[in-house]
Amino acid sequence: MHEARALRTPWRAVTLFLLPALTLYVAFTAYPVVKTLWNSLHVVLPNRHEFVGLANFVELAKDDIFWRAVRNTLIWACTSPLFEVSIALVLALALYAKVPGARFFRIAWFTPVLMSYVVVGIIWAWIYNYDWGAVNVALRWLGLQDWARPWLGTPATALPALILVTSWMWAGFNMVVLLAALHSLPSEVIEAAELDNCGWWGKLVHVIVPLTKGTLLNLLVLSFIGKMKIFDLVWITTKGGPLWSTETVSTYVYKRAFEWSTFDLGYPSTIASVWFAIVIASVLLLSWLLRQREKLEF
Amino acid sequence: MAQVELNKIGKRYAASGPPAVHDVNLTITHGELFVLLGPSGCGKSTTLRMIAGLESISEGELRIDGHAMNQVAAKDRDIAMVFQSYALYPHMDVRDNLAFGLRRRNFDAMEIARRVALASQILGLDPYLARKPHALSGGQRQRVALGRAIVRDPKVFLFDEPLSNLDAALRVSTRAELTALHERLNATMIYVTHDQVEAMTMGSRICIMNQGRVEQVGPPLEVYHHPANTFVAGFLGSPPMNLLTAQVVAGPSGLGFALGEQVLAAASVLQHLELPLAVGQSVVLGVRPEDLALGGAAGPGNGDGLGARVRTTEALGAETLLMLELPGLDTAVRARVDRDSRPARGDTVQLLPDLARAVLFDAKSGMALARRPD
Amino acid sequence: MRLRQTLVLLLLGAYTLFAAGPFVWVAMMSVRTTTEISRNHYAWPEQWHWHKFADAWFGSGYQVYFTNSTLVVCSAVALLTLVGAMAAYALARYRFRANRTIYFILFSTIIFPPQITVIALFQILVQYGLYNSLIGLTLVYVAIQLPLTIYLLETFFQRIPGELFDAARIDGYGELEVFWKIALPIALPALSTTVILNTILLWNEFLYAVVLITDESSRTLPLGIQRFMGDQQQDTGMIATGLMIAIVPVVLIYVFFSEKLIKGMTAGAMK
Repeated sequence: MHEARALRTPWRAVTLFLLPALTLYVAFTAYPVVKTLWNSLHVVLPNRHEFVGLANFVELAKDDIFWRAVRNTLIWACTSPLFEVSIALVLALALYAKVPGARFFRIAWFTPVLMSYVVVGIIWAWIYNYDWGAVNVALRWLGLQDWARPWLGTPATALPALILVTSWMWAGFNMVVLLAALHSLPSEVIEAAELDNCGWWGKLVHVIVPLTKGTLLNLLVLSFIGKMKIFDLVWITTKGGPLWSTETVSTYVYKRAFEWSTFDLGYPSTIASVWFAIVIASVLLLSWLLRQREKLEF
Repeated sequence: MAQVELNKIGKRYAASGPPAVHDVNLTITHGELFVLLGPSGCGKSTTLRMIAGLESISEGELRIDGHAMNQVAAKDRDIAMVFQSYALYPHMDVRDNLAFGLRRRNFDAMEIARRVALASQILGLDPYLARKPHALSGGQRQRVALGRAIVRDPKVFLFDEPLSNLDAALRVSTRAELTALHERLNATMIYVTHDQVEAMTMGSRICIMNQGRVEQVGPPLEVYHHPANTFVAGFLGSPPMNLLTAQVVAGPSGLGFALGEQVLAAASVLQHLELPLAVGQSVVLGVRPEDLALGGAAGPGNGDGLGARVRTTEALGAETLLMLELPGLDTAVRARVDRDSRPARGDTVQLLPDLARAVLFDAKSGMALARRPD
Repeated sequence: MRLRQTLVLLLLGAYTLFAAGPFVWVAMMSVRTTTEISRNHYAWPEQWHWHKFADAWFGSGYQVYFTNSTLVVCSAVALLTLVGAMAAYALARYRFRANRTIYFILFSTIIFPPQITVIALFQILVQYGLYNSLIGLTLVYVAIQLPLTIYLLETFFQRIPGELFDAARIDGYGELEVFWKIALPIALPALSTTVILNTILLWNEFLYAVVLITDESSRTLPLGIQRFMGDQQQDTGMIATGLMIAIVPVVLIYVFFSEKLIKGMTAGAMK
């Protein structure tokens, strides 16, 4: 930037520009965070509150449901991204290789991304329906009626079933990003690989994946973050059941805060605070593990 | 080394519309450094890529060492290519870049190491083997690209404007090195460029292309002195050849060229022509700037001079470039005269063209008039 | 070669069925009655019962839900765009020591799990009488989408060549005028992308809505739909129609702005 301009920052204007955003941030983000942390050290009832120190945290450490929810959420956040990104890579490569109708496919595959989790949840609850859902109908049609079951009603299959749903939703998004990344690859390097006796698999392993590694890792991290926050889908389909098999931290917090008749907002705030720390820590850890060691220029 | 034949090669991108390459017939012999030269969009790169197998061939047949190659995949044609952007693998170091193609072809480790060491030594890459491409300069990257081709020991080397991304000084030195490399390897090389200097200095034969067609093929100096048409004449040479439209008229000492208000005796040109000129015929007289001397100097066997007015003078130190006007002629004339002649702007001078070196073209078709074989 | 291409196309076709099939199915069900659906869930509609949309709209309360959603989303997006643009502009074009700190603070909230704020927001809104109010929800919506909006716009504002602003300043424009008359018009493509993005994300938003709104008359569309899922005997046909009412606006936006939308949503994910 121009030297002279840096000397005279028009403070009045800058403050005016930033004030609304910062006010909203403080009022609806920063203050609530502080308040939640404060809550976590109290028992917060409708008419009074009482300081309890770390009692909530101690209780949390023994709370089996909480740890189950953490486990479920982490499983979700670690597996769904892998499916979403690998399926997306296959799809993006197919479009990159210029199949006919690429534009149509791209639009069709991107549609699930735009839908509300509520809509998606209802549709898939129907698809997984024991009597007439598409999955069981297809299985029975194929003669595999033993495999038909209430997918969302069986503890062993409920979480995987939901993971399939999020993979279904987000593969399209990742595909579009990867397609853009593929198009930005230098075509001459790929041609050089062709001349170096690389078939499509060789090009994928030795050129395409190494050069799109940055984008791939980015997408994995983004997807991880998204799954750590998940609430809507579970709430609409299983509400955390059956038997806590799909309970996520977000649904558990909601239940403790607004559905269980304890009316205490302190304990759920404790859950939220601990979860906050876990999420930030895991995102930082993940980013550090997956960091690009050197910048690839091309 | 190998022989490459292109028979009626053509490339069409859309079913309708002009072809990108049309009716290209070339035979590149063993060990030749064959240059494809032309302005951008003339189809030279497309032709090269068809030889490589990176573009499909729409029409015609390609043969390498007598084997038809149209349907053969690029990796099986035993060719190596040096790309304009070098196309190095950004995530591999220099050694891996060189070895990659060989590893993919299952050469044994000893052979790979030997070839890499040899190429590295020839090109001076030894200090850089552990570096990645982004840590190399343009010239170094270009050498790695070359090295990658050399280790393959292919039948044909293909170069797609390899020097155009280098700065001027580096270009000059690399040019000489490439020529030396060609002699050392005695390989068949097909070289695409838009730079005439590269073409003239490096090629054993050059092929001028324009709008998808071959205009002329031949050794550089032959194409330079005997261009087949006005395009080639105007393309080679800097400053370009003067192409002056003239009518053949009957003059006092025989046939002459009416250039604006003046007439130039045609005798010294006529002796080289196959067919006689007719009065009233429209021709284009091609005279190179270096074949125009200033009056006063004794020139070899030319007729009368031409009066001209100096429009601009550029004294370059080693020579002087003049832009002149002939009365009655719209086209400006360029002359390259010796360094000590420095006429001023507005001066009237006498131009003495060396017509023995001039080329005549038919005004309508642009084709050079046939020469009597000498 | 031909064989491989056909195989690939088959695979892609199968995936397309997988990706888009569910919506086509819901669309079909939305014009069939529940009785028809119960007989055969996957049949093509014999009669196209377009009146179901009117029934859902007037009879089942969808009019209320749709109106509420529209009010909330439009106000939130409008406010969001203005506030976000101002902040992004200031962070992108002015140099001051706190600049990157403020940017980081605003941007980092993207990774915050909603739970850290949602309980306290509930308390705050109740305290200030904004619980169950569309205004309260709107303000919260602006706050939650601010980080993404600022991120997208800041990147865009940074890329504008400084000479444009310098020329305006030399011409006597004040800082506010430069923003309003120069920066905003140039940023129109980026602004429209964020508008589309925010509209779709907020139209679909559920978590904050379900916590902060319990009043039937204030429900937004996602809440309205969810209400019908609770019942034991599902009125599948009516729910399907309701789903379509929720889906159609988004699909329309998508059909008209697909390129822009895709570009906006994927910006920044590429490295």
